Amino acid sequence: MKVKTTRFGELEVNPTDLITFAEGLFGFENLKKYFVVDPGDSTLILWLQSTEDEKVAFPIIEPKIFKPDYIAKLLPADLNGLELDSLQSAKLYSVLTIPGNVTEMSANLKAPIVINSAKKIGKQIVLQDSKLSVKYEMYKELKTYIVNFSSDVFRSTSYDSSITLETGVLKSTKTNTITLEAE
Amino acid sequence: MLVLTRKLGESIAIDDNIKIVVVQIKGKQVRLGIKAPKETKIHREEVYQAIQDQNTEAVQASMSDIARLGEELKKK
Repeated sequence: MKVKTTRFGELEVNPTDLITFAEGLFGFENLKKYFVVDPGDSTLILWLQSTEDEKVAFPIIEPKIFKPDYIAKLLPADLNGLELDSLQSAKLYSVLTIPGNVTEMSANLKAPIVINSAKKIGKQIVLQDSKLSVKYEMYKELKTYIVNFSSDVFRSTSYDSSITLETGVLKSTKTNTITLEAE
Repeated sequence: MLVLTRKLGESIAIDDNIKIVVVQIKGKQVRLGIKAPKETKIHREEVYQAIQDQNTEAVQASMSDIARLGEELKKK
């Protein structure tokens, strides 16, 4: 299918790549269908592009790139509707705000986007941790990462989610992925 | 909207499993205690507003901003 976008022009999208956000994103509850655009530039930023409104695309990034110790603790209720059988298919992204002064860019750590990449279902989840910021400035960390590593390293790490399944508790072996807290 | 008057220490029950208690009243501030099942999501209303605002700001990002960001990030 062809999808018109203001930023990337007309894109050919495989219908199986469409991700359904049944509840939309906060403030964008009426838009349910998205797909991920990787412009392949050096910023490591991906875009969550709406198919229903060509103007709406959220810049997103994997939080482990700029905050390796980030943990998203999901409650059982958060997983409702995500149909996650295991966390192996869960991808975690932060929504970025990029103002005119790009060095003031920030990531929303409070409400990450979780995508079940196997079933193509997504959800923006508000985490309970009150210390997490909706505007976490992370330009310096992103720059350090980009200056220190070659682009080949990004590619091999960006798909490494290394999550293990323990009895009763889904937990990641790396601290930068998702933890499901259960009693 | 249902409006109820409660005194200090009194509570409101919602369904069989949620209880809201008035813990403290101090001037214009009320402290509420909330007892709910673990899976219940409880947030201050401002949190949702802040997330909506952040999302609205996020979609304003233009490709020229990203291009500039790419240039800045590459500088040693």
